[in-house]
Amino acid sequence: MSRDAARQPPRGARSQSQGPRASSRMRAWGRHHRAMCLDSARRLLRHPLGSLLTMLAIAIALVLPAALWLALDSARVLDAELEESATLTVYLAHQVEEAQAGRINEAIGAHEGVARTRLITAAEGMAEFQQALGLADALGRLDDNPLPASVVVSPVDPEPEAVRQLAESLDDLAGVDEVRLDLAWLERLRHLAELGSRLALALGVLFGLGVLLVVGNTIRLAVESRRQEIEVVMLIGATHAFVRRPFLYSGAWYGLGGGLLAWGLLGLGNEWLAAPVRALAASYGATFQLPQLGAAGSATLLICSTLLGWLGAWIAVSRHLAEIRPR
Amino acid sequence: MIVFEHVGKRYGGRFEALANLDFRVRRGEMVFLTGHSGAGKSSLLRLIMRLERPTRGRVLVAGHDIARLHASQVPFYRRQIGVVFQDHQLLLDRSIYHNVALPLEIRGVEPREAARRVRAALDKVGLLHREKALPIELSGGEQQRVGIARAVVNKPSLLLADEPTGNLDPQLSADIMALFEDFNRIGTTVVIASHDLALITRLRHRMLRLRDGRLVADEEAA
Repeated sequence: MSRDAARQPPRGARSQSQGPRASSRMRAWGRHHRAMCLDSARRLLRHPLGSLLTMLAIAIALVLPAALWLALDSARVLDAELEESATLTVYLAHQVEEAQAGRINEAIGAHEGVARTRLITAAEGMAEFQQALGLADALGRLDDNPLPASVVVSPVDPEPEAVRQLAESLDDLAGVDEVRLDLAWLERLRHLAELGSRLALALGVLFGLGVLLVVGNTIRLAVESRRQEIEVVMLIGATHAFVRRPFLYSGAWYGLGGGLLAWGLLGLGNEWLAAPVRALAASYGATFQLPQLGAAGSATLLICSTLLGWLGAWIAVSRHLAEIRPR
Repeated sequence: MIVFEHVGKRYGGRFEALANLDFRVRRGEMVFLTGHSGAGKSSLLRLIMRLERPTRGRVLVAGHDIARLHASQVPFYRRQIGVVFQDHQLLLDRSIYHNVALPLEIRGVEPREAARRVRAALDKVGLLHREKALPIELSGGEQQRVGIARAVVNKPSLLLADEPTGNLDPQLSADIMALFEDFNRIGTTVVIASHDLALITRLRHRMLRLRDGRLVADEEAA
């Protein structure tokens, strides 16, 4: 936005009037901004239903990418927690005796890159298995314990590549039957998160464009309905910035209103989903909270929506100012 | 004040609205521009307002070739000119007061100073008591006087009028012309396009006659 009031009149014009001083020009500029800010708000309030519908359209366009972004944010937190708990399971050979298993466990514990180990003997493994599956009766009928002893290894470096190398070197130890990485699903989750964040970005861009179009179209109609006024003020020396200003404020108000509605809708959605999510998490023996926008997130949402409204208005008005030429 | 040097204006490459216009208007002069409709009066005023640029020649206002003004300077140039339109071009959703205040609002004049000047301009055209009215509540003659108040509220050094009495009866027309003469008396250069020959010949000012875009007569005030 150019500050028309601060610009110099052409020389021929200046000789005919002593231009106001810079400070008073700045005051006039600020005064017009204030006046247009309020005037555009009043115009919106004069048609409350129409304004609300426009804002609702903006809000709906904003809710989807914002919700996706929130979900990804919580997935990132989850991912960090899971990474810390990334483990390897080393299955020992069947014929390994219990005492021997203890020694192998110590050997693994002394191995480079291993933070902690936990030995699960064949009997303990069976007990856990029975408990987890609730199949005590069926398994109890087995004569022989089919499970091998195992060692759960926590690596120092939880990076997938480092863990994979550690697994290979542990596999070479005597008495080790198989090393299983519990990483596959972690990597899958990570790929999913990557996919999700790209999707959120693409949706964000698309729906951002949607907001621009909604605001642009609304402002286009407003410009059309005030065409005569625009022509007159341009005839008597209004700059483009002066003409544009009220519409930019209208756009910003639409954006802000849409952002506030989107914020409210996200809150409602959160309320709506909280109970089933809590129940679902509880069934996994976990506590999981739906992600909240927070102060920073709310501010980002409102600022982005306001800026989008402003930009949409700018594009619409600029396109039309080029068309409108005083008769 | 205004100098036309061999000015020609064509629209769309063929239609010649103005051809080889050569005249000057001195500072403080009052000039009538006359001719049949389509003779080029409006085109000439549009050139002075820099709504259009000549296709030939130069138009100088206050010593400056206005075709060379940058687009961003044009608004500031227009603020120096008061314009009265035949259809008055008032904003129908604003009161008389706010219509007259519009040029001051555009210039960013401080509100108290603006109020003083708006009232002075309304007083001059005799409509101070109607400042709160809307344009549609006024008669045609009153609306035209509001248009004049808006044109002069900036104290322009140049006042242009395009058929300001076009829709008015003879008595109202004479009143309007008397207003223009008042502004001319305090030093404002006034250029009025009008085809109301009966009225303007009576007023004894310089008269530029146009016919088919050419200047056919330049009669000094008798």
